[in-house]
Parts: sequence; C-alpha cells; structure tokens
Amino acid sequence: MPAETHVERGPLGPEEAFALVRERLAEILDIDETRITRESRFSEDLEADSLALIELVEALEEELGERTVGFSVDDEDLADLVSVGDAVDYVMARLQVASADS
Amino acid sequence: MTVCTVAVDAMGGDRAPGEIVNGVLRGVEELGIEVLLVGREEEVTPLLPSPLPSGISVLDARDVIAMDDEPASAVRKKKDASIVRCAQAVRDGLADAMVSAGNTGAAMAAALLRMGRIKGVARPAIAVPLPVPGHGYQLLVDAGATTDVSPEWLVQFAIMGREYARVRLGVDEPTLGLLSIGEEPGKGDELRKLAYPLLQAVPGFVGNVEGRDFMRAATVDVVVTDGFTGNVALKSLEGALRSLASLVFKVFESSPEARAAGDVVMPMLLDAAEAYDPELTGGGVLLGVAGVCVISHGSSSANAIFKALSVAADAVRADVPERVREAIANAR
Repeated sequence: MPAETHVERGPLGPEEAFALVRERLAEILDIDETRITRESRFSEDLEADSLALIELVEALEEELGERTVGFSVDDEDLADLVSVGDAVDYVMARLQVASADS
Repeated sequence: MTVCTVAVDAMGGDRAPGEIVNGVLRGVEELGIEVLLVGREEEVTPLLPSPLPSGISVLDARDVIAMDDEPASAVRKKKDASIVRCAQAVRDGLADAMVSAGNTGAAMAAALLRMGRIKGVARPAIAVPLPVPGHGYQLLVDAGATTDVSPEWLVQFAIMGREYARVRLGVDEPTLGLLSIGEEPGKGDELRKLAYPLLQAVPGFVGNVEGRDFMRAATVDVVVTDGFTGNVALKSLEGALRSLASLVFKVFESSPEARAAGDVVMPMLLDAAEAYDPELTGGGVLLGVAGVCVISHGSSSANAIFKALSVAADAVRADVPERVREAIANAR
C-alpha cells in the first residue's frame, strides 16, 4: 500500500502538490503566489528559464524525497513540462512510481 | 577570530590538480586560512607533503564536471563532482567559501543550487576586477553568470556590484555605469533603454558608459551589464591586450636599434604589464548566492589560486553575502 512510504505526514494529494509547487516556484521567481495557477506556462507566463526549473526540481526532490523514499525527477522529462499543471501531474505520477517501487 | 576555511575544487581547471594544490599550500602558509581540498583522493593526496600540513584536509569526490559539460544538468547528474561537493561543503558549514577554476557555469549552478539564492535576487552575477593603471581596479558585473536578463535584474546586479565594490575596491560610495553604445540615456537596445530609468534610483548611478571606458580612471567604479555582453567584453579586452603585447614585442625585435632600446625598456614594460595579468586579480566573485564563491580563470596557475584564496578569505571576513542581502533588502 503506497501510504506506508509516506512517513508522518501522509500521502500527498494533487491539491497539496500544487500548493507545494506554487510555493517553491514563487520563492524561486520572487513573485506573488497568486500569479501562479495550474494553467500558468513556465516560460511564456512566468518567465521561468531552465535554471529556474532545475531549482524547482531540486527543491521538490528535497521536500518530497523526505516524504516518499525514491522520489526523483528525470531531467529528460523536464522539456515536456510546459505548465504548472503539467508539473503537478508529473509529481503525482512520480510519487506513485516511487511508492510502488518501495 | 575563527579561522576561515575555504573549500577548493582540486579537479577544476586546465592545470588541476597540480597547480591547484601548489596554490593551496602557499595559501595555507601565508594567509592564515584552512583549506578543504575537494577531489579524487588518489590524485590529490600524492601531491601533498606527508604528513599532511596543518590546515589542509582532503574531501574525496569521485566525479569531475568537464569544461564542456552542460552546467545545470551536470550539477544534477554528477552529485559527487568536486565542484558540487565544494558548494555543498559551504552549505553544510564545513567551509566558509569555495574556490573553483573549473566550468564557470557549473560553479554558478552548484553555488545556486546548493548554497541557495539570497532572497530578492533573481539571478547571480559574477563581479570581475579590471585593472585601471595607477588607480587600482574597476568592477565588471556581470562577467558571464547570467546571459539573458531583464531590466530589473540589471538593477540587482548594480546594487550587488556596488556593495561588493565597497569591499573589493575599498571605495565608500562607488559610482556605477550601464554599459551601452552611447552615453546619452536613449542610446542602446531595448534592455538598456528600459534599465536606464530604473538604475537612476540606485545611488551612485552616473549614466551610460561605453566600451572605451573600461580600465580607465575617472570613469566609473562599477560597469553593469548582462552576462553575455560582459563576457564578450572581458574576453575582448584579454584578446586586445595580448595582441598589443605581441605588437610591442615585434617592434622591439624589428631592428638592432629597437632591440637595444628594448633591452632598456622591456624590463620596465614587463613590470608594468603585470597589472594586466588576469592571474593576479584572484578571479571573479559570484554575487547573489548565500555563500562566498570565487570563480578563477580556467588556466589558473598556483599563483592565481593563491590570489583567489585571498579574495575568498577577504569576502568571508567582510561577510559579503550578508552585505549583499542587506543591500538588496533595503532596495526593495
């Protein structure tokens, strides 16, 4: 059962994942969280460059790696993440993979 | 006062690890610092005297980021690379600063990803000192950390550069200029035109400067530009100075009379030319990250590493990251 890998804080739902992505991205881009929606595109709407995305990935790996052993992001998948919603969906999928593997 | 510890990338640069280790040995002896040499233990340790001199320790790091590796993804993929472990050592409190002569982009990415960014700083910038004959140095910010910038980021570079100029140049109220293609406010591309009015709110801003204002007295203390233009300018200056030096040598070899004159003048010229040697400036400092990171020339000799260690120790003692954080916070 996936929940057994989530130590202390329990499994992460899509809303919580979105909140986490939004919070970290707002810190990295130094913008207000309210500017970030699921539909926001990294490049066009938020002016996030590739380094900002890697900062986001590192932050997510650090945060989620503590909750779900084995959570990681494959750099080759980054090019497919166009919007914040894509990133949230990707995080949820990777969490499932990590949970299944552990 | 606690002893400053510098993490040094033993594997970074064209002349690593030999010249790096030699520079470290001198630094520990003369600067009163301690050094954590980070790199492949089996390559680094044989270069050190036995027993290990006091103040030097070795941290084994198995990987190396090559000069042609893509910086950010290399930092992510090669987590045990010497340059990454240096930045991590600063983050974890094992060292107060890092020095690397390796891949500049990777040093920047490692520092950014491991040490973190100072709040309010969008992107870091490299501050490089340019010699001004008879007048010390001028700072170029950014010399190549962030190539694509917004007008607001240039303002941050100006604020960070001005604060660091106080430490590096010893000037209380440094002046700033925006590098452009004309002195008038309307001159330049869209980026410069948009940045100019924003920069007017930064203390010390005197307006646009041109390429000819580099390395000249009575211009500005800090030249602000994007990392792309800054790097092109820096390499152009290096190339032009090399070309000029080769012209001078040719002139003094052109006839017996010129050779005789050269015998008299050349020692003085060579002494004076030392001021232009990029090896002696100690490298650039990465501004905007939450730690001290000194980036040296890829071809750094032991002497260059020694100077870089001195620059790093000075930046730690002056608490440059905290000064930059305060300057950025006060400007918001």
